[in-house]
Parts: sequence; structure tokens; C-alpha cells
Amino acid sequence: MVVDPAQSKTQQVGAGRVAAAQGPGVGGGSAGAPIRQSNLWKDAWRRYVRNKAAVLAGSVFVLVLLFCLIWPIVSPYDPNAVKFELKNASPSLSHPFGTDNFGRDMLTRTAVGGRVSIGIGFAATLAILLIGVAYGSISGFVGGKLDNGMMRLLDTLYGLPYLPFAIIVLAIFGQANFWTMVVALAIASWFTSARIVRGQVISLKENDYVRAARAVGARWFRVLGRHLLPNTLGVLIIAIFLELPGVILGEAFLSFIGLGISPPNASWGQMANEGRSVYRVAPHIMAVPSIAIATLILCANFIADGLRDALDPRTRET
Amino acid sequence: MTKFIVRRVVWTIPVVLLVILLTFGLMRQIKGNPFRTSERAIPAEIQKNLDRKFGLDKPWYIQYYRYVKGVATADLGPSLVLRNRDVNDIVRDHFPKSLELGGLAFLFALLFGIPLGAMSALKANSIFDYGAMFFSNVGYAIPSFLVATLFIYFFALQWDLGFPTSGWNTWQSKVLPVIALGLGPGAAFARLVRGTMLETLQQDYIRTAKAKGLRWRRVVGLHVLRNSLIPVVTAAGPTLGFLITGSFIIEQIFAIPGIGRYYVTAVTARDYSVVMGLTVLLSVIVIFANLVVDILYGILDPRTRDARA
Amino acid sequence: MALLEVTDLQTHFFTREGVVRAVDGISFSVERGRTLGIVGESGCGKSVTALSIMGLIPKPPARIVGGSVVFDGQDLTKLPEKRLEDLRGREIAMIFQDPMTSLNPTLTIGTQITETIRRHYDVSKQAARKKAIELMEEVRIPRAAESLDDYPHRFSGGMRQRVMIAIALSCDPKLLIADEPTTALDVTVQASVLDLLDDLRHEHDMAMIIITHDMGVVAEAADEILVMYAGQAVEQAPVLELFDHPEHPYTEALLGALPQIEGEGIREGRLTAIPGRPPDLINPPAACRFAPRCPYANDNDTCATEMPDLREIRPGHLVRSTHPASEREGARRGAGVPA
Repeated sequence: MVVDPAQSKTQQVGAGRVAAAQGPGVGGGSAGAPIRQSNLWKDAWRRYVRNKAAVLAGSVFVLVLLFCLIWPIVSPYDPNAVKFELKNASPSLSHPFGTDNFGRDMLTRTAVGGRVSIGIGFAATLAILLIGVAYGSISGFVGGKLDNGMMRLLDTLYGLPYLPFAIIVLAIFGQANFWTMVVALAIASWFTSARIVRGQVISLKENDYVRAARAVGARWFRVLGRHLLPNTLGVLIIAIFLELPGVILGEAFLSFIGLGISPPNASWGQMANEGRSVYRVAPHIMAVPSIAIATLILCANFIADGLRDALDPRTRET
Repeated sequence: MTKFIVRRVVWTIPVVLLVILLTFGLMRQIKGNPFRTSERAIPAEIQKNLDRKFGLDKPWYIQYYRYVKGVATADLGPSLVLRNRDVNDIVRDHFPKSLELGGLAFLFALLFGIPLGAMSALKANSIFDYGAMFFSNVGYAIPSFLVATLFIYFFALQWDLGFPTSGWNTWQSKVLPVIALGLGPGAAFARLVRGTMLETLQQDYIRTAKAKGLRWRRVVGLHVLRNSLIPVVTAAGPTLGFLITGSFIIEQIFAIPGIGRYYVTAVTARDYSVVMGLTVLLSVIVIFANLVVDILYGILDPRTRDARA
Repeated sequence: MALLEVTDLQTHFFTREGVVRAVDGISFSVERGRTLGIVGESGCGKSVTALSIMGLIPKPPARIVGGSVVFDGQDLTKLPEKRLEDLRGREIAMIFQDPMTSLNPTLTIGTQITETIRRHYDVSKQAARKKAIELMEEVRIPRAAESLDDYPHRFSGGMRQRVMIAIALSCDPKLLIADEPTTALDVTVQASVLDLLDDLRHEHDMAMIIITHDMGVVAEAADEILVMYAGQAVEQAPVLELFDHPEHPYTEALLGALPQIEGEGIREGRLTAIPGRPPDLINPPAACRFAPRCPYANDNDTCATEMPDLREIRPGHLVRSTHPASEREGARRGAGVPA
């Protein structure tokens, strides 16, 4: 039911097409010269780096990751050291992001918080993809009644509202720590990726080159490994950057309503929540982590767009 | 056509039942006691009485059955924690506000996002397009609570423009929360519409329409839009569901007395019936929204009417 | 005066890799009631020519940079878009190659026919509907009245192409351009569609341009043939003359590549394929564009450095070559006609 343009795209991706030129009549070089077959990934990389926004977003993304990984190690401040005398200080040279309402250095806390938020984000995204790939590929590959049943079940699960569902799952676990968060978010969000993977598998299963492989007697795991997965890989990579914002936002939401990870290891969402009460006095406490979240989401979106254009030779916009 | 609609409607019933079962099962897994009001454990006698009063001593399938009967008769039972209040009361008092907030935000998203996306597609690669898409990308990425707080900061604290930042009574008080909630989805729609329209404009049948000499107005208004809106409709359903069920944050920030607040406290307090009632209600809305989307999809794309098993 | 007079048409595509000279100076004319067939391999510019006539080339990358297209006395390249819209569908109609994608899947075929009629004539919905049914019957679609409210996906490829033809004929155009009308169809269906086009053309006294890469199709359908290669015209002649006495080496090769099952002069042995590929149209050579693949060209000839002109080798028969067939046996005259 869902119109998924990604389905038709990767069929072309798998055939190893030479990047299409625009306009008619451009042959491959002078008369008699053979067409140059390029590697799919090299082609995609080249197309990706042509997209300036995607490159910028990718660089910022990597920078943020590095910052969160490295800064807490080299920072002179302990992110959890409470110094009431310094509390709510505005950004300054010694504290570029200011201090929070407990006097803790915001820059370091942001880095640490980033570790938590991004960590949860990636872990949950990975979990989502694993579940989605498992569910979707079984459903799509086996087909028939099993597929029907699994899809009906999926339709039902779609009916569960996202946030309440995650809240309930968290409540079942009793406590909110890194892993329970990951599981709760993953359980509430895997449906779309399962659908996408199933759609991919079905369309690829019926694809002519898969039929050709089977016709020469290739075994099913060879078909899966050699033909289906490399094509789906492109879609999966894009899916990572599409799911990531949702998960990060979900964690932020849950933290914002008070259901986040227990302190002191605060995520960005929790930092924002803490900053709420002193918003008028010290807006930076809430603003900094919120902007950090927004930046990450923005970058992920642009990267996803760039990847989508890079991996599909046919999306050209006049 | 009617057969199609009837078929879709009939299918939602088992879905609702299954959702209730799932929520029921999940709720039962949450350890804890709804009747506990203090740190001390409740004496066994009283616990037994309370259990019996609220039917919690019966086996799970009996409880499930009674619950479903309740739902069918629109009776969601009494709250286990807040004495003298039924879930129905809570719903009646607070749910309409959440519904209104979500609904208005949805309308805003549609009315803002779709025209923006369409114009961007028609003027592709122009300054307008770049500007609109930049704005959309940012709007899509910024979490709604940031938008909400920015709004409060600017509209209430810095510039006094007469838009209140708390409560939900006058129409002015509704403006900021609706926009804060609807901006993200609106931006998402804009991006989506732009993408689908650009793709549709490349299609062969648009070239045919032009070759027939049809006026550009008609080509865009009928041929292009009808095909472009199909994916938008598909995305709109879950969006509506998300808006209504995810408005908790906005309600908190703007102090809107909706059900968001109740939901979180009920879960923490293990108030099974409130949580069940609200979750089921929200699920029904989501399912209903998906149903409407399915039907709309069938109207817009005639191919699915025949294909649906 | 001819109905359509194309003079030195040049359509270029301005892309990131360079300027693609898709159509590079082509001239021809079409008389009322006659059919011109344009043949050539993929990428030679035939479709772009057709789209240029209608003004339907994608304007951002493409542009008509030179020449004129005079239809019924008016130069279409100079007309504003609004006027072109009035002409399209009404005076000039076009049908396209792929009937599966050329019809809007979300509208009934009735709508797609009647909207054309009501765009160009001020008639009521019922009148348009009646006319649509007549047209459907004319293109031999069974159960015309009921099919009117059906959607395109219910029809087969051949039926859809007939619908396209019905749409094209709906306003009685003076010229019909058919861009590879049968390429996407089964062979058996091809024959019936071509027959239909032929009958309709005679009944409506319509001029037609039929574009194809299939010599068999054009032999059936055309009165005159224009052979295109790499954006240029290389030979032009009435159909029988072309088939009996082809002049250009490319035309000879095309005809040599036709399988023949029966008939006189039947060739035994293998089909001749033409080795090599067409030139890159971003920087086409200044010399004859077919030279690298031409079996008669040497490096010493003028065609290795200069573009041969299109000249009239016999009345009504034009060719652009330094080595036309009739000049090959016997004394070679060396250089072609000076520019």
C-alpha cells in the first residue's frame, strides 16, 4: 500500500548501470570505443560528493561524533561535578556553553550527553533494522500465507500509537537505562523498516536477474547473498539515516516528559528538560542541547537525501 | 467502490480487538500496585477487597472479555487511583482538547506544507525553491519542543503580541501551540509534495497532456496533483495519528489541559484502567486515521481498488 | 505550399557535460495528406525533431537554437507558448511510443478523450462524450460506450495505443506525428495499428510524420523517407526510390540489416551489422559523421575532413555523402560539391 520509490530504484542499482548522462545522443566515446563499466560504490561516492549540502552535513555529523567521543577525555571539567557558585553562568571563554543550574560545565555535559543520545540513537536504529530485516525478509521471501499473516499482524501493530507504546514498554522494564531505552524505542519503531524490507525483497525476488540466477541453478542463499542483499544494502544505509532522527527525537521526547535515563548520565533530551525550569533566567541550558538535537537531525536528513540521490542514477531534477 | 470501503471497515474490528489484547497484555506485565498510596504495603485483606471491587482477581481472559464489552458500550471503567472518577470522565474533560490541538495542527500542516511543496516543485531550482526547501529542512529537523520554547521566548517574553502561551480557551491561545506542533509535519509534507510532484512532472502522461494542448493550469491542477497527492495521503494518516498521540510535549510546555499529562502520571501510578482507556482510545484514532487514508487512497488511485485482495 | 516546412532546425541540449547537438541542421517538408517517414537508429535525433516541431522539448536543458518550423504559414519557433497550446491537439497531434505510460493512470480514458475535445471546442459534456464514443469505434475498440469509464490499466498495450490515436484524432488535426507508434507493441498488433493509421489518414486527409527505427514499418506506411544519422539528414527520397536505389552507405547498411524471408533479390547469408557506434554529439567531428563506420571512406577523402553537403543526386532524391552508390562504380569524382 505504501508507495515506496526506493523499491524501483534499487533494481537499477543492482544492474551496475553506468551513470546516465542527461539528454540524448551521447554515446560512450568515439566510434568503436567500449562503454566504461564503473564500480557501483565508486560511482555513488562520486555522485555523493557532488552534492555540497550532503558533504557539509556529512562533515558536521562526523565532527559532532568526534566531539562527543574525544572532548570528555580531554576536558578539564568533570561533567558531574557540582559547583553551585557557578550556576547558570552564560557562555564565556572558560565555559563556552555556559554552566547549568548545578554549576556543571555545559560544553562537557553536551559532549557526554551526545554520547548517550547518539549512542541510543545508533543502537536503537540498528535494532530497528535488524528486526525489520528479519521480519521483512522472512515475510517477503517466503510469501504466501505466512506473508499475509505477518502483514496483517504488522497492520495491527501500526495501530499502536508510538509514544504511548514506548512509555508502556519502558514501564514494563521498570527502570529507564540505556538499554531499556534502546529496546523501548526499537520496539515502537520497527514497523516501517519491516515493510520497506519486505517490499524490497518481494520486488527483487521477482526481478528478472534474480530469475536468471535461479534459472542457472543458483542456491537460495547464494541468490540472497549475491543478488538480493547488495541491492538492499543501499536502501538499508539510507534507512539508517532516516530512522536515526526519529529515534533521537523519540528519546528526547521521552526524556522531556520525565521518563528519560536516570541521572547523572543525562542525554540531550534530559538536559533540555532540566533547562526548562530556568528557561527565563538561563535560556542556554535548554537551548544548547535542543540545538544539538536539531543539528544532528538536520545533518541526518541531508545525508539521507544525498545518499538517496547518489545511489539512484535516475533521480535527476530538471 | 462500496465493497472496497466496507471491506476495509470490517477489517478494523479484529485490529482493534488485537490492539486491546496487546495493550492489556503489556499493562499486566508492569509490576506494581495501583492501590498503593504510600510506601507501606497495603494489608492483605484490603488488597483482596480492592482487587475484588475492581475485578482484578478474575483470570485474565475474563478481565479481557469484560473490558472489551466495556469498550463496545463506551464504558472505560473507573480509575483505579483517582477515586470517584471514571476514565470516561477524564476522557470527556480532557480528550477533546488534545484532539483539537492535534486536528488543528494537522490542518495547519496540510494548508501550509502542500502549497509550499507544490510551488517549490513548479519553480524547481529557483531561489524560491532553495529558500522554501531550506526552511522546510530546518523546520523538519527542529524538535517541536524547541520550536515551542522559542515561540514562548519570542512571542510571550520579548514581543508582547497578544498570543498567550498557556491555556486553551481563546483562539489566540491556540495559535502558538498549533503552529509549534504542526510546523514539523508541515515541513515534511512540503518536502514530500515537492518530491512527488517533480517525479510526476517527468512522467510520459504529462507529456501527452501537454501534447493535447491542455492549458498548463489544468495539467498541473488535475493530472499532476492527482498523482502527486497519493503518497502524501499515505503519509498523512500516520501523521494525523502521530499528532494526536504525540502532543504530550506541547501540552506540557503550553500548559494545555489535555490527556498527555494524565497519561504519564497514570503509567507511573500503575492506574491500569486509565492507561488502558487512553491507549485504546488513541489506538482507535490511529486505526481510524489509517482507515480514512486507505479509502482516500482507493479513491485517488483506481488501480488499488482492483488489486486489493 | 507545403503544410509543414522545416528549415535548418537545430536543437541543442545544454548539459553539465557540454552542449549536446541533438538536431544539427535538418530540413524537410510535408505536404497535405502525405506521410513522411523518419528513420534512424536510437539517439539520432528523430524524436527530438518531432518534439521540437511541437515545442515540447524540455526547456531548461534544451533549446531550439536555429532554423524555422513553418506550419500552415506560421513559424512555430517564434510563437508564444499560449498560441502553441492552442495549436497542439487541434492542428498538430502527436502519439508516443509507450502506450503503457503515456496515459494517466488515475483518470478514465473517457475523461482523457473528452478533455481534449472540450479544450479546443466549446461543447457540452454530453456532446464530447458522444464524440468520444464515435472516436473509440473508429479506432476499433470493442464495447466503446462501456469502456469509456474504464481506467487505462484495464487495457492491453494495443488497445491503449488505439486510445492514444483516438485522442490524437479527436480534433481533426491537419498533421499527426507518430513517434515510434508500434515499437512497444507485439508484431501482430503492430500490423493492425499501422493499418488503422493508414485508413484514418485517408479518411481524414491528414498529413503524417511517422518516426521509427524499423525499415519494415516505414516501407508500409510512408510516401517519402528521411534517413537521419547523428542529428543530421543523410538521405531523403520517395519510398520506392529509396528501397530500390539507396545511395548513402548508411541507408544501404540499414537495408542490408533487414532480414528477408522471400521475394526477389533475396540475400543469402548473414545479416550485415554496422560496426561501431554513433559519434558523441557533444563534440561532433567537423567531418562526415558517418565516416568512421563507412565502408567506403578513406583518410584521403574530403569526407574525412569536411562535412558533405546534402545534394540532389536525382530529382527528388537527396543525399549527404561523398560516396553515394551511383557514384561508386565507374570513375570516382573525388571531392564532393564545394560548400
